[in-house]
Amino acid sequence: MENQVKIDPNITISQNKKKKPLSVGRVVLYIFMAFVGLLQLFPLLWLFDYSLLNSGQFFGDKIFQVPSPPQWENYVSAFTQGNVLPYFFNSVLVTFVSVALTAITSILLAYAFTRMKWKLSALFMNIILLGMMIPIHATLLPNFIIFNEVGFLNSYWALILPYTAFNIPVSMFIVTGFMQTIPRSIEEAAVIDGASIWRILFSIIFPITKPAIATISVVNFINCWNEFIMAYTFITMDKFKTLPFSIIQFVGQYSSNYGAQFAVMALIAIPSIIMYLIFTDEINKGLMAGSVKG
Amino acid sequence: MIELNQVMSDKKAIFFLVAPGFLILISMIIFPIGMSIYYGFTDWGGIGEYNFIGFENFKEIIFNDKIFRISLINALLLTLATIFIQHPIAIFLAILITHCGRFEKILRTILFIPAIISIVVTAKLWASIYNPQYGLLNNVLETIGLGSLTQDWLGNPDLAIWAVILVTIWQGFGYAFLLYYAGLKGVPDELYEAAKIDGANYFQLYSKVVIPLLAPMARVAIILAVITCLKQMEVVYLMTNGGPGDSTQLLGNYLYQTAFSSAQYGYGNAISVLFVIVVLIVTVILNKFLDRDVGEF
Repeated sequence: MENQVKIDPNITISQNKKKKPLSVGRVVLYIFMAFVGLLQLFPLLWLFDYSLLNSGQFFGDKIFQVPSPPQWENYVSAFTQGNVLPYFFNSVLVTFVSVALTAITSILLAYAFTRMKWKLSALFMNIILLGMMIPIHATLLPNFIIFNEVGFLNSYWALILPYTAFNIPVSMFIVTGFMQTIPRSIEEAAVIDGASIWRILFSIIFPITKPAIATISVVNFINCWNEFIMAYTFITMDKFKTLPFSIIQFVGQYSSNYGAQFAVMALIAIPSIIMYLIFTDEINKGLMAGSVKG
Repeated sequence: MIELNQVMSDKKAIFFLVAPGFLILISMIIFPIGMSIYYGFTDWGGIGEYNFIGFENFKEIIFNDKIFRISLINALLLTLATIFIQHPIAIFLAILITHCGRFEKILRTILFIPAIISIVVTAKLWASIYNPQYGLLNNVLETIGLGSLTQDWLGNPDLAIWAVILVTIWQGFGYAFLLYYAGLKGVPDELYEAAKIDGANYFQLYSKVVIPLLAPMARVAIILAVITCLKQMEVVYLMTNGGPGDSTQLLGNYLYQTAFSSAQYGYGNAISVLFVIVVLIVTVILNKFLDRDVGEF
């Protein structure tokens, strides 16, 4: 008797999960959601579609045109004329250095806030919270003046340092939240064995914190890769420009080559989309944590 | 024997842990704002001498600057549109998606994709969509028989702000959606079952039981919407640069124009300072009125 009672609900649940009858309501729901998904993605599908058309085809009044033949030359022109390759390299360099620097500084800060005992801890935490609330745009003019003074304009530092600064607060909070869940007993044992604080950090804390580091790194990657207004303000020399510039430049120089303009936009968008598809969960988690705190 | 507490209050170690990140943050964010405050009290034009003029800039901005006022009103409009258009759609779709079984994950991913694309691409793409010659929007209207509505969307001072709002709603949709979706996932299964046993239909289940439980998440989403809308700038800068007239002007963009196009450094810095003050006040007020302790998720 007892067994039957226990088993029964399991059976119904597993039946429910396995055999969801394809009712009319469910079909309508799926069709509706497919339509919503298509609507949401449509601007991007249009972008990729038109990036394969030649510029003359832009002026038809069809919503969607099958590119025949696909104009892959658009992507070739984007690469050869839009300075995409050097800008791509700059984007990669600036992004990777900023992401690494943010990860290291955030872990150190998080460790200081979760484990170390110091009087000014609360004060410093509040200053970092304050930094999180300040809009990027309010720092553009003063930072432009400062960078101009110290000769930072047109250098990688003019991007790496502010990118790092604006990514530190949220990253630090994510790592802090993670570190609070690590039991102290491991560190106690290490201290008894005579390990120094740095030894504890490098051989115990870093390896355990890896999931949090992965989360902040992919989120910061997207932030830095997509960043536009600081790069646009602090960089005027081709040598240091990052990828989002190429579209501005391309529209200016090749204003009638629509197909190639669309190809440039697609080239900027694709790395972010790929990153998101690979790291969907990390990015969602990181962005959510960021919006709850920020 | 060395104790953990002793190691953990090592002053030198604390210094080296805190200094790198803190110095970058101070020098790139806090110090520049301090400098803005200083220059906000001057009439500096970018080069040469400048004079201290007291609160002149601030008085001018608050009492006489029409564009500053338009920027604030536009931010308010953007916020209201986000909360009353984007959020209800986000809640509705989040509810539907929880019923989509194995398609749940892919639908979630699709809805979020626009949010991770560079703002430059988003802005330029939508400028093309609104383009009167080859734009998608006019073509769609022609196709569905509403050809009489076609026009230069960004060139019309009455419509341009709505064109901008549509872009920000599209781009930020993923955030609102994910927040409400996470909120829904936090509702315990037992509640659904209890409501069903009590004979509630879907409409009663959601309107009486589930949606009220989303309140804490709605607070987070609303705070996020207000702050994001206040800070919005790039979309406007790249699509309309505040125009036509100043109909789509936003604080960030107005500040940028004053500083970099007209080289009014004193006045521009004063706008920067007021911008920070507005954001801080709004954040503090919202946090006070809408307690956003939703715990971890």
